[in-house]
Amino acid sequence: MISVSKLLTDLDAEGDGLRYDAAEESTKSQIRDEKQRRPVVVWNVTKQCNLYCDHCYAAADTDIADGELTTAEGKALLDDLADYGAPVILFSGGEPLVRQDLEELVAYANEVGVRPVLSTNGTLITEERAASLKAAGLKYAGVSVDGLPERNDDFRGMEGAFDGAVQGIRNCLDAGLKTGLRYTITERNAPDLEGVVDLLTDVGVDRFCFYHLDYGGRGTEIVDADLTPVERREAVERVCDMTREYHDRGEEIETLLVGNYADAAYLVEYAREHMSEAQARRVYEYLRVNGGDPTGERVADVDYQGNVHLTQFWQGYSLGNVRDRPFGDIWEDESNPLVRALREREDRLTGKCADCRYAGVCRGGSRLRALTVEDDLFAPDPQCYLDDDEIRGPEPFAGGDATSPAD
Amino acid sequence: MGELDHEVDAPRGATSREWEVFCRESSADPLTHVGSVSAPSADIAREQATQLFAHAAEALWLCPADETVRVQAESLALDPAADGTDATMDAESMQAETLRGERE
Ligand code: SF4
Repeated sequence: MISVSKLLTDLDAEGDGLRYDAAEESTKSQIRDEKQRRPVVVWNVTKQCNLYCDHCYAAADTDIADGELTTAEGKALLDDLADYGAPVILFSGGEPLVRQDLEELVAYANEVGVRPVLSTNGTLITEERAASLKAAGLKYAGVSVDGLPERNDDFRGMEGAFDGAVQGIRNCLDAGLKTGLRYTITERNAPDLEGVVDLLTDVGVDRFCFYHLDYGGRGTEIVDADLTPVERREAVERVCDMTREYHDRGEEIETLLVGNYADAAYLVEYAREHMSEAQARRVYEYLRVNGGDPTGERVADVDYQGNVHLTQFWQGYSLGNVRDRPFGDIWEDESNPLVRALREREDRLTGKCADCRYAGVCRGGSRLRALTVEDDLFAPDPQCYLDDDEIRGPEPFAGGDATSPAD
Repeated sequence: MGELDHEVDAPRGATSREWEVFCRESSADPLTHVGSVSAPSADIAREQATQLFAHAAEALWLCPADETVRVQAESLALDPAADGTDATMDAESMQAETLRGERE
């Protein structure tokens, strides 16, 4: 998750302890903290969903699926996660609101000290449920909308889904719940991006997360509907431009890019071209500490049957099951050579990633997409859109000049 | 050690059959359980496990999760008291609830 608004509008020389003279020290301590960071855990509480979206990674269905974790098992899982130190639990699905015990689980997560947040299609969020989720201690709701009304409804397989989601967002905001947009960018909906942001800022939304398509679940069927590298670059540039325009007008929207760490490399290039060398350096330092693609490290997934996955999109492989063993034991078990390889992937990346100067902020992007498209776990991410001349050469801002003023 | 008196018989497969994968990194190493892959057939399971583990493995064993008996100490169970009650809406009430928020 890369915060465009933070990197391009907040990260000035005074912010975040990342002034040049402080950069070295704070970077070290942040890297130390980083190593100890536990993963954010996505929990697909159900496979069931009331919509049928083209790109659904969970291959969700309208029927209740076998082996769903019960309320009691879910609470035991939350105990596990709390013991292990997972900072955040993202309730997802399917559509999590089809579980009538969602509020009970949210309240329990809160009680044991794991921050509960929600990912939903919004169409089941009535006034009552928004209020009960807020009362249960939900901290954030991310509502998925994938285009302006016509396009969104087509994508989501239901007429009225757009209006339903917007009403859900209104209900959340009225209940005092922090609410944001989730938007998965594809070839079809890329043109709607600014329109949706305009429309939802009017509703009162101020946080916008743009997801690149990952190739798991039903997503594999629409690899062809994904953006080309040129279109992707354009879309990301528009997100950057839009963010700065809003801020220039004094509207403090938060924008984030998720799921493709070539964006990290691009943001450095963008800052250099449109802002300044100094800003590019700050962006780079921040992203380097942030650590690149988090698969198998800073993000984890537990599916509705308790299977643990490397990310929520990587459902075809599971590390183990929480009905057999506590989550932390599964996640820490490095007798698994795949887990080890992913955690030291820098040494294994091939092709253009092997000597990319941005590998430190990107780490080769999505291993799942490389696997799906190239049949090779360590091949470059097929979604990388950086030009050859941008990724060749020495590591940017490397070496001992971090303390000398560059501008 | 306690008795292995708890059987875990909940399904592991979501969209297709699930295959437990075991991997030996070199002949002196133990055969280690390294998770599972989802695949409709043994051939595809083998292909998927190979993609994920060939870089490290000298041998891979696969067996269908639904043919694998999992018994363990009661204390390891996620929640021994779980009664299996379903907390999820049925399809009908789910459809009835959908877009309800739209009515004003
Ligand atoms: S070449 Fe590889 S490491 Fe470099 S930006 Fe592209 S995907 Fe990332």
